[in-house]
Amino acid sequence: MEEKHDESRKEAASGSLTGTALEAEDVLAGAEPWEPVETKLVVWSLLIAAAALIIGLLVVPTSILHTP
Amino acid sequence: MNMELLIWHDGSNWVVKNERLTLSAPTLEELDVEVERFLRGSGMLREGETAEVFMTFDNSTIPQWIRQYAQHYFNRVLEVRG
Amino acid sequence: MADLSNRRWYSGMLTQEDWWAVWLGVGFFFISLFNLAGVDLVGWITYPTKWVLYPPEGGKGAVSHAFYALGKKYSVTAKGFYKGLGWWSVLWTYVVFTIATCIGAAFMRWNLKRFFTGWTIIYFLTIATWFVGHHAFIAANKINMKQYGLNFALSLGGGGSFILALIVGLIIGNFFKPFANYLSEAAKPEWYIKTAIVTLGVKLGYLPIKLSGFSHKLGKEAASLTFDLFVAGAAATIVAYLIFWPGVYVISRKLFKLPRKTAAVLGSGISICGVSAAVATGGAVRAKPVVSIMVSALVVVWAVIELVILPGFFTHVWPGTNDPLVAGAAMGMSVKTDGADAAAGELMDEFMRNKIESETDGAVIWPSGIITASAVMTKVWIDMFIGIWAFVLALVWVYKFERRAGEKVPVSEVWHRFPKFVIGYFFCWFFLLALYFGPGQSGAVEAMPFLKSVKAGAVPIEKGMRKLFFMLTFLSLGIITDFKKLKEAQFGKMVWVYFVALFFFIIPVAIVIAYLFHHGMQIPNIAGFVQ
Repeated sequence: MEEKHDESRKEAASGSLTGTALEAEDVLAGAEPWEPVETKLVVWSLLIAAAALIIGLLVVPTSILHTP
Repeated sequence: MNMELLIWHDGSNWVVKNERLTLSAPTLEELDVEVERFLRGSGMLREGETAEVFMTFDNSTIPQWIRQYAQHYFNRVLEVRG
Repeated sequence: MADLSNRRWYSGMLTQEDWWAVWLGVGFFFISLFNLAGVDLVGWITYPTKWVLYPPEGGKGAVSHAFYALGKKYSVTAKGFYKGLGWWSVLWTYVVFTIATCIGAAFMRWNLKRFFTGWTIIYFLTIATWFVGHHAFIAANKINMKQYGLNFALSLGGGGSFILALIVGLIIGNFFKPFANYLSEAAKPEWYIKTAIVTLGVKLGYLPIKLSGFSHKLGKEAASLTFDLFVAGAAATIVAYLIFWPGVYVISRKLFKLPRKTAAVLGSGISICGVSAAVATGGAVRAKPVVSIMVSALVVVWAVIELVILPGFFTHVWPGTNDPLVAGAAMGMSVKTDGADAAAGELMDEFMRNKIESETDGAVIWPSGIITASAVMTKVWIDMFIGIWAFVLALVWVYKFERRAGEKVPVSEVWHRFPKFVIGYFFCWFFLLALYFGPGQSGAVEAMPFLKSVKAGAVPIEKGMRKLFFMLTFLSLGIITDFKKLKEAQFGKMVWVYFVALFFFIIPVAIVIAYLFHHGMQIPNIAGFVQ
């Protein structure tokens, strides 16, 4: 275990751009099915963005609504 | 009771460690089960008591070139009821 | 040895680059304030000027004056001494900043010997490229080229040096890999740029002081412009952020069929602040660190591609000099990593200022740094917001997706992910504003001697130290960027997600939102005062 910890650190300190010793195979594969909570996250994020946009345009003095 | 652990990922397993224990598991769920089992098995957690386990990520396992961009991965808290 | 720099809220203060950017920037800023007591301790900071091998008679540009100590021009109390330094100021600057950065490196437990040699090589390479980049053929424009005996010049201003530094760095990073690897201990673009951003805070605070030296009205205009950038940047960033992230998440999940955690990390990495967002989100969603590491490796390469393309595009294609602050804000929202963004903003600052001066035959001259500030402002807001967004994602992942019994997300996570260098940036800015509005009496004539002392300290920091750290950033960015990484098979479709999301979603949305909040903002014209 300690050996592996040291290995992780040695790899980390190498300054190389990719963690060659790290296992990458499951990063790209195995997509889970889309869940309703993801829709919720995306929609809420966009709704807050829309609200922030409207408030921002009204409040920020340099916004396009206030620019002649 | 409170306990502090160091946590990191060694490429295949999540590992936690302090001066008394070293545990590892491929997923955080399994790791939490191991921690719970240790707490009960060692008698550190009595019935009806709640233990708070604070896990600090070991930044030294993040590549050094990345540490200048982001200095924190995560800390997590696990509550275990006896 | 384990790194527990985030165990307590204060435990990283002496061991993290982020904090060391604050100590360096704020430390030298405080040293500069000794000018208020009549002692100039920063006038030695070196600065280049345009040169030619054979200056015309009565003209400018002798090589012997190619570097000078800024105190020669701005010091109130030691002008004579600093005038004598000339090229020696390069060595003074080397010695002082070597000591300062080595102290930081020692506290951060880096390999000091390797840092010292790497830093020394990077510093002198930086000086060499800074010198070459200031040849009048590269740096002069059609307004001033005659003074150097030239009939043609590239009009790149200081931008030529930045481009050269990046090219030299990229050559080392891509063709001399063992050397690049050796230099990597000192090639720290994020540390250098965060330090430069703290000194940009000095620049922002100094701007009204500088312009009030021209006219009282201009000083006030500058102060209000920096506030406007602050407010507009905040609004634009929040809106853009909350559109970017879900957009890239959906593209990654639906179009490229990536797993949830990878999509979340990519969503942050591509759309927000690059590496720091990828790491913050990776931690928040409890992904294995390899996900963040892979995304980060992609981010740094793509960020440099953006740095190469966008300043020229925004200057010469759209929006050009009509809307320089739209371009700046859009840059901040589209170029990932603080280093590449601030560098791109600074490059565009040079391009735009030289373009407007040439286009108007010198009738319009903009003070330097405002376009850079607009690019950094949106980025700084983004950097602060990522901590909050990562916290929200952690709540969603821990409590909704994974629902591990007993796991809690500590609120202290927001602080641990907070970009500490921002504290230095705002501190310097507001400190100087307080001096301007307080004892500086908003630039009133009676307060001019006081403001002149402030200026003697501020200029070497906001001009000399800032530009030097920008140059170090350009060179280091090149050194750590290896374009071959894009070809590595393991990145697979991530490279394409990045390409599609960046060019067809992020950049267009960034431009639209920057336009909505910054269109029509004007930079003060100082032509009547500097000629």
